[in-house]
Amino acid sequence: MANLFKSFSTWIIIGVIAAILPLIFDSSFALTLLSKMGVLIIFTVAYNMLLGQGGMLSFGHAIYFGLAGYASIHIMNGIGAETLPYFPTVLFPLIGAVVGLFFGCLVGYVSTRRAGTAFAMISLGFGEMVTAMTLIFVLFFNGEDGIQTDRMVGPEPFGITFGPQIEIYYLILFWCVITVALMYIITKTPFGRMSNAVRDNPERAAFIGYSVRRVRWQAFALSSMFAGAAGSLHALNYEHIGFESVSVIQSGAVLFMAFIGGAGHFLGPIVGAIGLTYLDSTLADYTEAWLLYLGLTFSGIVMFAPGGLAGLIVMHGPIARTDKKLLTSLVKPYLLAIGSVVTGLIGLIGIIEMLYFRSLISKGEGEVIIFWTEFNANGITSWLIFIGLILGGVFLSKKTFPMAKESWDHAISVVKTEISHE
Amino acid sequence: MSNALQLKNVSKSFGEAKIIKNLNLDIKKNERHAIIGPNGAGKSTLFHLISGHYKLTSGKIELNNKEINNLEPHEINRKGLARSFQVTNIFPKMSVYENIRCGILWSMGFKYSIIRLVNGDKELNNKTNSLLEEINLKHCAHIPAGLLSYADQRALEIGITIAGGADTLMLDEPTAGMSNSETERAVNLIKQISEKRTLVVVEHDMGVVFDLADRISVLVYGEIIATDTPKNIRENKAVQEAYLGTEDH
Repeated sequence: MANLFKSFSTWIIIGVIAAILPLIFDSSFALTLLSKMGVLIIFTVAYNMLLGQGGMLSFGHAIYFGLAGYASIHIMNGIGAETLPYFPTVLFPLIGAVVGLFFGCLVGYVSTRRAGTAFAMISLGFGEMVTAMTLIFVLFFNGEDGIQTDRMVGPEPFGITFGPQIEIYYLILFWCVITVALMYIITKTPFGRMSNAVRDNPERAAFIGYSVRRVRWQAFALSSMFAGAAGSLHALNYEHIGFESVSVIQSGAVLFMAFIGGAGHFLGPIVGAIGLTYLDSTLADYTEAWLLYLGLTFSGIVMFAPGGLAGLIVMHGPIARTDKKLLTSLVKPYLLAIGSVVTGLIGLIGIIEMLYFRSLISKGEGEVIIFWTEFNANGITSWLIFIGLILGGVFLSKKTFPMAKESWDHAISVVKTEISHE
Repeated sequence: MSNALQLKNVSKSFGEAKIIKNLNLDIKKNERHAIIGPNGAGKSTLFHLISGHYKLTSGKIELNNKEINNLEPHEINRKGLARSFQVTNIFPKMSVYENIRCGILWSMGFKYSIIRLVNGDKELNNKTNSLLEEINLKHCAHIPAGLLSYADQRALEIGITIAGGADTLMLDEPTAGMSNSETERAVNLIKQISEKRTLVVVEHDMGVVFDLADRISVLVYGEIIATDTPKNIRENKAVQEAYLGTEDH
């Protein structure tokens, strides 16, 4: 029980911080950004019930997010036109949850019969199908335009109209805390534990009495339910829903966020959702090539840190528990390795930016600002500098990475002997 | 004494190849029964058939006098049969403690619950701890199972196998790849856990087999050529020719 309280106190602190954030960052840009983050945190954590907790790679999870959004907007418009009875705006995510759960049960029944590649393909198929439907069934989806709504409907309890963005932010925050806490608790239930077990070793899970399909199906349905709640909030937040919300692009975005943050740890997707939403909104102002960097980051994480950012931290847990000194011995080789990578990356970014600049601007103008410094994209010097940085980074990496790996192997071997000697 | 497992005219073919041929086998309640035979005799296939991993081509398998050959693996497990694998089969990313606890869940009626918390259940956690003590892995309870030494992983797998309280256990080469001292430890553990349980074991190490088994069945090319006590098996001419004799050359 004390343990449970301890883990909850962390959540309460995070919730309080999130609640006072709009008081510190009170620009409308910040408020919009924070609202978007809240919605995507719910969606990403929900998605990770599949990817990280259940080991199912879905390329079409946005359909539960998006369909719940469409349903919410239609119901809201119905209430506005008084063709539907009043339903409190605060509880709209419940509508989304029901819609998500319904479609999750339906599609999941089919797709969770298979795992691995087949599951991923089926999810992609359903994703494409629903995206196509948005353009075909115009009556419900209204094609490429999507549907608008006005979220200020019905009575105004305590003067809350949900008109101002700040009120929507607190609504999102409220649901974000509730849904994330629920999803966290679910990881601690028999179902949650068996979801991990099925992910790790489905064959074994079957031989301890669990139907692997049933566990996967339940994970799929619950994940879709929470994704639906997020979709509802997304619709309320923008007072609009469009075909892109169900599209494979949205499905891909949530996969990126969960994976880069770290699918193996509960906090990973939250880190990913916050980080990528922030970068998406800010970095896009600095460079047109932002999506290229995102793709590179994703590939890098897949290849070198499949546990994501959270995974990199968590994998040092056993070392820290065995001996703190062992952990500090890793700092120096790590910093050297990171330094060499950063050197190479600066070079790479410089080249990409200059290439991009040259492909856009007509000849003559050559001044391009990279890393707050002016470079001449037409002069050979700038190119040589950045190429030099890349080569330098590669050269240094070849030296520093084996060092880092050696230190890591040493630390892990100490941990292993420690275990067997106990 | 009644039978724990009964195989009647069991056959299994993969395409043209008949791996198990009209096999009959009775395994008595609470006996330790070893299945031996040369490589490729079909021992692992037989295990997969009994545990529901493969479907029979023909025949019938009964567990405690109830037919199980049309059931899924998880359903057979719920009826009281648990098994280990030739290749270590644990949940590598989960802690040793979690591995055992997951093995217990179904038998305690937790099913697919999303409203109960596993940490809050005293009985479940006490049971997990006492099982960890039984298999001597309590000291590394919170280490990811994949980090354990090979012998410890095998011990953990036996722990998972018995966690659900099954009364019939099947172990597939439990001492394969172990050093002498590790084998000794494993055999002691197996002896201890198979008290008051039915044990079916496939094993290559003849020392282990003759030490452990009450009865031995010899499987050669999909057929059982003899089932008897270790002493009689050792003296059986047909067995010596088919299997044991070849070891001396």
